[in-house]
Amino acid sequence: MILVSLILLVLAVLGAPLFAIIATSAMMGFHSSDTELMTIALELMSIAQMPILTAIPLFTFAGYLLSESKAPQRLVRLTNALFGWMPGGLALVCLAACAFFTAFTGASGVTIIALGAILYPALKQDGYSDRFNLGLVTSSGSLGLLFAPSLPLILYGVVAEVSIDDLFRAGILPGLAMLVMLSGYSIWVNRDNRKPMGSFSLREVGAALREAVWELPLPVVVLGGIYSGFFAVSEAAAITALYVFIAEVLINREIAWRELPRITRDSMVLVGGILMILGVSLASTYYMIDTEVPQKLLGLVAELVSSPTSFLILLLIFLLILGAILDIFSAIVLVVPLILPIAAGFGVNEVHLGIVFLAAMQLGYLTPPVGLNLFIASYRFEKPIMHVYSATFPFLIILLLSVILIAFWPALSLFLV
Amino acid sequence: MKKLLASLERAGKLAENAALLVLLGTMIGVSVFQIVNRQLLGGSFSLSWADELVKMIVLWLAMVGSIAASRDNKHIRIDLITHILSGTIVAWIKIVVDLFAAGVCAMIGWQAWRLVREEMSWGDMILGELPLWIAHAIVPAAFILISYRFFVRVLTLLHGILKPQEAAA
Repeated sequence: MILVSLILLVLAVLGAPLFAIIATSAMMGFHSSDTELMTIALELMSIAQMPILTAIPLFTFAGYLLSESKAPQRLVRLTNALFGWMPGGLALVCLAACAFFTAFTGASGVTIIALGAILYPALKQDGYSDRFNLGLVTSSGSLGLLFAPSLPLILYGVVAEVSIDDLFRAGILPGLAMLVMLSGYSIWVNRDNRKPMGSFSLREVGAALREAVWELPLPVVVLGGIYSGFFAVSEAAAITALYVFIAEVLINREIAWRELPRITRDSMVLVGGILMILGVSLASTYYMIDTEVPQKLLGLVAELVSSPTSFLILLLIFLLILGAILDIFSAIVLVVPLILPIAAGFGVNEVHLGIVFLAAMQLGYLTPPVGLNLFIASYRFEKPIMHVYSATFPFLIILLLSVILIAFWPALSLFLV
Repeated sequence: MKKLLASLERAGKLAENAALLVLLGTMIGVSVFQIVNRQLLGGSFSLSWADELVKMIVLWLAMVGSIAASRDNKHIRIDLITHILSGTIVAWIKIVVDLFAAGVCAMIGWQAWRLVREEMSWGDMILGELPLWIAHAIVPAAFILISYRFFVRVLTLLHGILKPQEAAA
């Protein structure tokens, strides 16, 4: 059994599709505990028994449509009209626009491609150093994971069986804390790059607002609908998908009808990948719960640490290593069922745990060897990967500080729940 | 032969796109209609089947999306090797892991087929009149197709190693 696990681990590191690895370990588990192997198919089919999952294809489709339209340009123009006049204004524009956009596109790397292409040259023109720009745009690409309706938040809610409404509320303040800390750093770094204060133009704000008039109701519909309890999450997702389709395809006409099959395919390929991993991990979780793996792990961890504080330290170290190797979706479906009972044993709130988990995994986008954002930025801006890594490093440190803050200040997450 | 395979590939991709469009469109339509029905029409239509249909579409989207992901080679992997190694060794590693994936998918497909066969004998229905096994048959079908896709990739990679000139041409 240990030998098989080792072989699977090697195959995973060599690049075998993760769903195949998880499925094999589940089937090996079933085989050794005399469980019928058909159980794996039964667990896969139970994807059709989770009503909340409808939100995943719907929000993903809406996010892909938005990124293919000119909504990113309008978003940048609007945030620039609002914040651009401040010192360090354009850096703040970058952070705010990226966070907002990532919440809708689910941190699949789309943000760097859609927004980075506009912001990177603009920052350069505004006199920011190339190194700073590269680091800022790369680390902004996964900002906003903690804001509704991001896919990882929804997936955590599904796997941990926690109210997604609560998670959406819990993510607001920690997400803002990350934004504020990165903004503060950006302003401080550029304190010598003094320019005459830009002027705030009400006319430009008005023009930008008018241009974005069809996107403006979106946050109101999604967030207002969900936070007020008017819509369930999956209903808000359906409304969002239909609304974005009407706004970008029928009204703004920035996406041609013949592009729809390709955009649908691209977004559903991501959905297929995520749900496949979820499906097979339902099977492996079934086996692990059946053989009381979490309880055994809890016993093991309880010998190592005794207080919630030391547990959180251990958890953070573990999550940072995990995030450096595994993508956020696989990490959620594989690891959350294991650490949930342990965290409960140490009195860590499950909503708070979710926010800590995602915040820590967000760093994984920026850490070698497999940080997705590093590779996308390196490819997109034609910079060597080591250069991107060192440019991103200061931002990584700030984000690490924010994760520590989020982990050890539960009230920040739980205040709005 | 090559022509036949190429047109098969094109037809497969078209079929996937068409299926995804229909599934997603139906999901959006039915979900939105349900909200309108409840909030504005006071629930004057009885849509007991709608929830069940939308949930079943999620399974179908997951399966068809996975088939498409295996064609586009977009299944989630730890993408480390291609960043640190290069040359023929990478191709050989890809052959090993994709062969493994093809085998695993064939196994899951077979187990899913056994389950669907049992469901045929149970006679369960969903959405009123539809036998459950038909709705579930997408699972074995998808895994057999995904297994086939991984196998084709292995053959393509082998061909690229053994006859590089021909593969490039």
